[in-house]
Amino acid sequence: MTISKNELLKRMSEGVLEMEEDVVIEAANNYLEAGYPVLEGILEGLVDGMNKASVLYDEEEYFVTDVLLCSDAMYEGLNILRPHLSSDEVDRKKPTGVIGVVHGDTHDIGKNLVKIMLETAGFEMYDLGRDVPLIDFVEKSKEVKADLICLSTLMTTTMSGMETVINLLKEHGIRKDLKVIVGGGPISQKFSDMIGADGYSNNAVEAVKLSKSLLGLV
Amino acid sequence: MHKDDKMTPNQRLQAFMTGKEMDRILSIPVTCTMSGLASGITHKEKRSSAKNEAKAQIDCYKRFGNDMLITDYGLHGVGTALGSQTNNPEDAVPAITDYILKDLSKVDMLDPSKLTLEKDEAFRLHCEATEICVEKLGHEVPTGVLISGPFTAAASIYKTESLLRATRKDKENLHKLIHFCNENLKKIYKEFIKRGAMILMCDPIASGTILHKKQYREFVLPYTIDLVNEIHKAGGMVCYHICGDTTAIVSDMVESGCDMLSIDNIVDLSYVKKEVGDRVPILGNVDPVEVMYLGKPEDVKRSVKECLRKGYDSEKGYILASGCDLSGNLPLENIDAFMEAAREFGKWPLDPKNFL
Repeated sequence: MTISKNELLKRMSEGVLEMEEDVVIEAANNYLEAGYPVLEGILEGLVDGMNKASVLYDEEEYFVTDVLLCSDAMYEGLNILRPHLSSDEVDRKKPTGVIGVVHGDTHDIGKNLVKIMLETAGFEMYDLGRDVPLIDFVEKSKEVKADLICLSTLMTTTMSGMETVINLLKEHGIRKDLKVIVGGGPISQKFSDMIGADGYSNNAVEAVKLSKSLLGLV
Repeated sequence: MHKDDKMTPNQRLQAFMTGKEMDRILSIPVTCTMSGLASGITHKEKRSSAKNEAKAQIDCYKRFGNDMLITDYGLHGVGTALGSQTNNPEDAVPAITDYILKDLSKVDMLDPSKLTLEKDEAFRLHCEATEICVEKLGHEVPTGVLISGPFTAAASIYKTESLLRATRKDKENLHKLIHFCNENLKKIYKEFIKRGAMILMCDPIASGTILHKKQYREFVLPYTIDLVNEIHKAGGMVCYHICGDTTAIVSDMVESGCDMLSIDNIVDLSYVKKEVGDRVPILGNVDPVEVMYLGKPEDVKRSVKECLRKGYDSEKGYILASGCDLSGNLPLENIDAFMEAAREFGKWPLDPKNFL
């Protein structure tokens, strides 16, 4: 018996929200087999669940662990559905971001949360990982024509690397082509202003709102 | 003794513990990571020998007259002794680049003998630095050791993100890992206590910014109670610090039995005083980054006043401190200003008129 599209969308969304990978995997496979539109499955199923999770995170109902487990479930579903997007859908222009933890630091939970939330919000994210040589942010941004760079660090001793990235962007003549946002334990609005970043946010949900507003997407 | 003080830190602490008069409020800017600045050496030089580590502490004390020397077993010590890899930066705390434990189910394969003084060179170095501090200045100022709590020790062995997932998906092995850390931390703490150090137990990965209160109560608190108990049995004292937002767990933290509670600058000191001020002395919470690293001496003084205003009348006592370890290339004038403000606004008897 075929399960209705709406029922499968609901199962994917709820599976993500409830952190149930198995439910999401089964629903995504059923959805695909039934031939329902893939993009809608991603947006109205998987991403819908993740959006609900981020609302709960913002309300402090969900914590970091919950968001990680929700995103695990979402990515399981995406792995199934994404390869079946049509080439038009794959090529559609998305806002593009480069993200990483600056050189010298390897704490990456905050960065990963921001990446998850931005991907959920429809950004194409290039994750440079942790302990990233500062010039790599510039080179990757040029290569992918990024709209946004997200810099993260937890350590006071590596904060100054963020300013270096901004200076490198200026030297390479692309500072005006993109927005730079900063975050992490020791970072503040004051520091963001001092180094000439475009914005600071103190959590992953805020980072999405900030990015969208900086890029005029709201 | 510092030229502007009338009591030694030992005398001041003694007076604090027994409710007697002192010259000024106890004042502990956490001069640990940055301490090399006072000796004109980088962090790498500071961590390269016991002599350098101790000298950096002694030079800080000579300049500032701060109320505690702080040696640095650090947050990654357990993991690195077991085989986790770090980078080796010239002037910053090393960060972990590779974790020794990749598969939590292999937790039983961790080798505790690597954590002993005989086998762990870094542990020996920090013990020796502690010995030098106590030998040279123990008659005058207490020495503490900054050292990880159980959850942070676990996070130096196994990647934090995986650790968080395991709080739901593999509780059994996660408990094994934390238990392993705890049993070994007991032995490590005892070596420092034996040498006369107070335990400055830091468990930043247990922060409310990362963990839910329920996770704290399940995976952190029982182990911490056990550890604190062992510290007391060994005749030691413990000041307990968790970074970040601990608003939801301050009361739980005190349940650990800790002798003092240190709070991060993002937690409201007035709230902590109200919640637990009748149970333990509180340390806090000048912002180490915005004020101490990026601010000017007048910002420091303003912030010290604000802390005094909020904390001075806490029932079991209040100790002026930074909200976390000081790090980065901060202006030493800001630490001068911190101590000057402690002497000026925190002189005895404490009078709210002095810090309004």
